[in-house]
Amino acid sequence: MKPLYKLLLAATVLAFSTTASVSAQDANADAPYKVVDGNKVDPGTLKGWKTWRSLACERCHGAQQEGLVGPSLVDSLKRLTKTDFQTTVMNGRIEKGMPNFGGSQQMQDNWQNLYAYLKGRSDGKIQPGHLQPMDGQQ
Amino acid sequence: MTIRYAVAGMTTLAISMLSLSAHADAQLDTAIKNPANWAAQAGDYANQRYSELKQINASNVSKLQATWTLSTGVLRGHEGSPLVVGDTMYIHSPFPNKVVAVNLKDQTYKWKYEPKQDAAVVPVMCCDTVNRGVAYGDGKIFLQQADTTLVALDAETGKVVWSVKNGDPKLGETNTNAPHVFKDKVITGISGGEFGVRGRLTAYDIKTGKEVWKGYSVGPDSEMLIDPAKTMTWTDGKMAPVGKDSSVKTWQGDQWKIGGGTTWGWYSYDPKLNLVYYGSGNPSTWNPKQRPGDNKWSMSIWARDLDTGKVKWVYQMTPHDEWDFDGINEMILADIPVKGQTVPALVHFDRNGFGYTMNRDTGALLVAEKYDPAVNWATHVDMKTGRPEVVAQYSTEHNGEDTNSKGICPAALGSKDQQPATFDRKSKLFLVPTNHVCMDYEPFRVEYTAGQPYVGATLSMFPAPNSHGGMGNFIAWDAGTGKIVWSKPEKFSVWSGALTTAGDVAFYGTLEGYLKAVNPKDGKELWKFKVPSGVIGNVFTYEYSGKQYVGVYSGIGGWAGIGMAAGLEKPQEGLGAVGGYKDLAKYTDLGGTLFVFALPSN
Repeated sequence: MKPLYKLLLAATVLAFSTTASVSAQDANADAPYKVVDGNKVDPGTLKGWKTWRSLACERCHGAQQEGLVGPSLVDSLKRLTKTDFQTTVMNGRIEKGMPNFGGSQQMQDNWQNLYAYLKGRSDGKIQPGHLQPMDGQQ
Repeated sequence: MTIRYAVAGMTTLAISMLSLSAHADAQLDTAIKNPANWAAQAGDYANQRYSELKQINASNVSKLQATWTLSTGVLRGHEGSPLVVGDTMYIHSPFPNKVVAVNLKDQTYKWKYEPKQDAAVVPVMCCDTVNRGVAYGDGKIFLQQADTTLVALDAETGKVVWSVKNGDPKLGETNTNAPHVFKDKVITGISGGEFGVRGRLTAYDIKTGKEVWKGYSVGPDSEMLIDPAKTMTWTDGKMAPVGKDSSVKTWQGDQWKIGGGTTWGWYSYDPKLNLVYYGSGNPSTWNPKQRPGDNKWSMSIWARDLDTGKVKWVYQMTPHDEWDFDGINEMILADIPVKGQTVPALVHFDRNGFGYTMNRDTGALLVAEKYDPAVNWATHVDMKTGRPEVVAQYSTEHNGEDTNSKGICPAALGSKDQQPATFDRKSKLFLVPTNHVCMDYEPFRVEYTAGQPYVGATLSMFPAPNSHGGMGNFIAWDAGTGKIVWSKPEKFSVWSGALTTAGDVAFYGTLEGYLKAVNPKDGKELWKFKVPSGVIGNVFTYEYSGKQYVGVYSGIGGWAGIGMAAGLEKPQEGLGAVGGYKDLAKYTDLGGTLFVFALPSN
């Protein structure tokens, strides 16, 4: 029973992740972000990247979200739910050194955009570094 | 008779109280004069980091052995060094800022002190929780906690004598600096230039902890303790009064209120001139477009009267900073020949890559030369105006917001950061631990929110191109002529404070974890020992029971330990071949150990 369950689960996950990657490549319907050529993104995701930048998240999580003093967000965003993410950025994890950004207007306005950006980084769809708007206008 | 005796006694008491308040801290003065002690973080008031001890010398240093070690119990970056006074060593740790008094006789603990601090201070210290050590004086040990509390402990018992709040962590104000005891005052600064903190230096009464004066780096004259008619600065090749509103008129509107100029370095003191010397840090934010003007007096060298805090002279090294070249590095006081004449000099190796020699009495600019040939953001310092000639290609102001200015040398962590240099009194050379790192810098617009990061630039750092491939050098500098005498390449930034001794040996530590002894005259390596974790602490020496010891903390961290990582993971830099953070991880991991070395007994 147990091994069968595991096998089934694995198969489901595999199927799901295959579907997800295909859909991300095509229309990216379920993803919270839209990206073209790896660095042109929708307005919300662009705001998310700008939030990442202006709150200096890279000082702890690394310029490519690879982790420094803080954990790798490429990994973390594979585990955290959107609600977990919201709780973490708003309340922080003070004992581990993660600040609470609840007092930041920019974070309050943009936490979902930041989630979208980091999800795109975690999925490997958005490249590290400077992003552009999708319509090509700055 | 009895009454007369009592009156006489009272007079004596009054006189001695007077002399107490008017004279230097007798205990610290005496302790510093005896080279057996290491009674201040630099060993003296002048930041020379030189010891008269010579039992360990150039011919026997190769026999040096680890004698005893001690764990601080904290695995973060260990900057600064312990103090030694008589038969006791005082050890400190990064956050939570423990202090331990150790019997040198048997390494047992006399007392331990661990403050209760709100852990909420840790995130605003992002990204490391270093502390640069304690100060001694008036029978007390002074600890400047991360949460800005300055506490005086009884040196014998570790009991709190007084404690005072020096800032507010909710506004991003924290402390990493060591407090310094000069005469009857405890001097401390503030950190938080990346949170829009307004920098200042504060003097507290050594007996009571009462604030005596506070001098801001930016803002109205009265709050900086600047007298527009009497405070002098280098102007058109000579000293002239700074004039009215010298700071506020170099800022747009009231931006100076969140203007930075923090003060987290090492301070020095000249008892004869009664002046305190230190540097102020970067203006906030790192985006220069957002703060037009020279942003005075960020990035400046300061000379303040110890008793009143009044500014005798001030000199801005990097007007309108565009690279985060904090001016906080130590001011070393030494009387040296400059152009054939012995002058009371102040020597400073700035983050911006220039080594400055000033007349510490008058504030006159004598020498300003590059101490790393890689420095490219400015061609030179104009000796008449005192201003650097900025190269447009590397000007992040000129290139503008959201543009990546590439290949700027040095990187934001400077040709040298806080890691203090040493003055070898015998060879008259300054031995300097340096960074050989360059950067790409992209400024962007940010909004200020109290207590939130206010940085405004994305950086990536890499070893200086077209050089030896390493990220550091240990150099010897002639401050009279502004010339490098010798330069010893290092694989990583040298982030450890150096020491010279009368035994003709210089010591420094490396990020991969070597404590090294070299000949101060030519840099030739005489001895090295691998400690478990990279060295960012300062080497110190003392004598106990007729034997000379050399010690250093092992415990990587700080900006060098983590900041390096940020840029060096970038694949397009092609750094895999030459080193970088991944290489550092092959040598070392976190640690927190004090190492003490001596010669074998026979």
